[in-house]
Amino acid sequence: MTPLEILSATISGQASPRVPVFCNLLDQGAKLLNIPPKQYFANGEYVADAQLKMLQHYGHDNVWSAHYVGKEAQLLGCKDILFADNGVPNVADFVIKSWDDIATFEIPEDITQQPTWQAMDDCLKILSSEVGATHPICAYVTGSTTLPAILMGMDKWMELVLIGPVELRDELVRKCSLFVQQQLKAYRAAGANVIIYANPFGSTYFIPKKRIVDWSMPWMQEDLKQGTGSIVYYGGMAPINSVIEMVIDKLKVNIFYPAPEDDIRESMRLINGKGLTSGVLDDIKMIHWTEQQTRDEVKRIMTLGKTGGHFLFGTGFMPLKLPEENIIAMLDAAFKYGRY
Amino acid sequence: MFETYIKDYNEAVFEIDKELALEIIETALKDGVTPEQVVFDIIIPSIEEMMAEISINADTNLAQHFMTAQIAAEITEKMLAKFESPPEIIGRVIIGTSYGDLHSLGKRIVMGCLKSMMVDVVDLGVNVKAETFVDAAVAQDAQIIAISSMMVHTATGEEGSLKVRSLLKERGLEDKIKLVVGGAPYRFDHELYNKVGADSWAADGVTAAKIIRELILEGKS
Ligand code: B12
Repeated sequence: MTPLEILSATISGQASPRVPVFCNLLDQGAKLLNIPPKQYFANGEYVADAQLKMLQHYGHDNVWSAHYVGKEAQLLGCKDILFADNGVPNVADFVIKSWDDIATFEIPEDITQQPTWQAMDDCLKILSSEVGATHPICAYVTGSTTLPAILMGMDKWMELVLIGPVELRDELVRKCSLFVQQQLKAYRAAGANVIIYANPFGSTYFIPKKRIVDWSMPWMQEDLKQGTGSIVYYGGMAPINSVIEMVIDKLKVNIFYPAPEDDIRESMRLINGKGLTSGVLDDIKMIHWTEQQTRDEVKRIMTLGKTGGHFLFGTGFMPLKLPEENIIAMLDAAFKYGRY
Repeated sequence: MFETYIKDYNEAVFEIDKELALEIIETALKDGVTPEQVVFDIIIPSIEEMMAEISINADTNLAQHFMTAQIAAEITEKMLAKFESPPEIIGRVIIGTSYGDLHSLGKRIVMGCLKSMMVDVVDLGVNVKAETFVDAAVAQDAQIIAISSMMVHTATGEEGSLKVRSLLKERGLEDKIKLVVGGAPYRFDHELYNKVGADSWAADGVTAAKIIRELILEGKS
């Protein structure tokens, strides 16, 4: 079976030879090609090339589009991204500087006409033609109740959410939701077949459950109203076990990517065969593990996850600091202990 | 006599109801509670209670921490203006996010908690160089440098906490100035603070204020 068939079988609960293994390598591509991250991410061909090379080198299951979260802000007018040679790109220019800017903030008519989209499109085209029939191709979309964090800064957004005028808050989220819907459509059209829907404001680590029910959930429904096919619910590495039942019930999403803090057994109990969950390895801790510790952790995750089927193994956005030996040990163990 | 105020106030904060929290303080003032009492007998104990709550109940959320910090800092500031004589400040903290890091929420929460616990805070903003942290701490006579980092490379990189440590060492300041760190990477790896040369760390803003206060008091004794 191809990695894509293994994933489909896992989602639908059919027999498959092993657990799918997602290994999220993004910034590593620039290192591999020895191109500064800024130039690397601006060129879809570079990114596709590196993604394919890494796939060959490591043998994991998934590839990524030309992505860092700041691209979403760039599509919306952000003029400055702080690139780092040793780490992830960071938004350095906030499109919304004061509450007054919300009224004039506009979503582009068609994001695929934006210069920033070009690299994404080029990258996805190459990936689709090379591995689209065999491998999961991942894209990442930030949920509308979290997106403002990269448009105005997290502290200003938290303030607006908690103590600001409700109409203003929702005016901004409404615009963001239109953008989310455009992105989903564009990614699907360009060939992405796994869409990570990231929404930390859909995690009780950020806001109380009641606020999620009353506020985030209706917006998430709006974001995903074109359909929830291939959508993966992700808290951005914030825990999500406490919302799983609600998400299945209200949002009709049934693929989950929890945080390492989420208890795997509990995720499985909550999903109860109605969907797929993931065992996510803590790749920040992994930086300082030995190869043996890495293998032991993979074994622990796989042993727990395999008992229920409907299970995927994955990582966060792998930090550049991770030793190569640990990545290899992790994948080797994942294929060994992930066999059914 | 302050128990009811503390209880009502904390409930309001936990429910993220700022208006109600402010109303409770207004009522207390009307009932004859002095501004000094509001700070020392309501706000500070309420934060302490929150600390206790957090240690037994892991299910608190960032919104609650944010509100605790925000409301307490606001009220404390208002009350300080009304104090009969200037309050005694426990110590001073220099805070900022590490070089290359523009995530500001953690810093803001920690600052709010510190301010309401009578710790003076000097905010250097985001994307702060190691030298700037150390220079400011010396110039402002601070006992603590606090660095917030939300990404692995800014937490563990050569330009962040590690460099602050080596500068403190170089300049013979290690006894005088303690280094405290926090942010997402430290919550994922609880030993990380050690590896970046920090003296301590905390997983949330309220606990951060607690350990920073303890470090300052330790230094004094
Ligand atoms: C929300 C979130 C997002 C949101 C919003 C980001 C933002 N703030 O602008 C979105 C979805 C947009 C996002 C995007 C990205 N994210 Co993000 N994100 C998160 C998440 C879930 C929470 C981070 C956050 O804002 N927390 C708010 C702070 C205040 O919360 P806190 O850490 O609990 O703070 C408390 C304590 O840490 C403590 N504290 C904080 N500072 C200090 C200081 C001192 C001195 C002390 C004592 C205590 C202390 O007190 C605070 C209050 O209680 C974390 C994972 C997680 N579970 O934490 C990942 C995480 C930070 N993100 C991560 C990454 C990689 C990214 C991206 C770079 C992805 C990409 N490739 O583009 C982008 C960058 C976006 C940008 N800014 O340009 C990684 C970073 C690790 C790494 N690999 O370097 C994390 C850890 C997830 C992971 N494990 O992979 N993210």
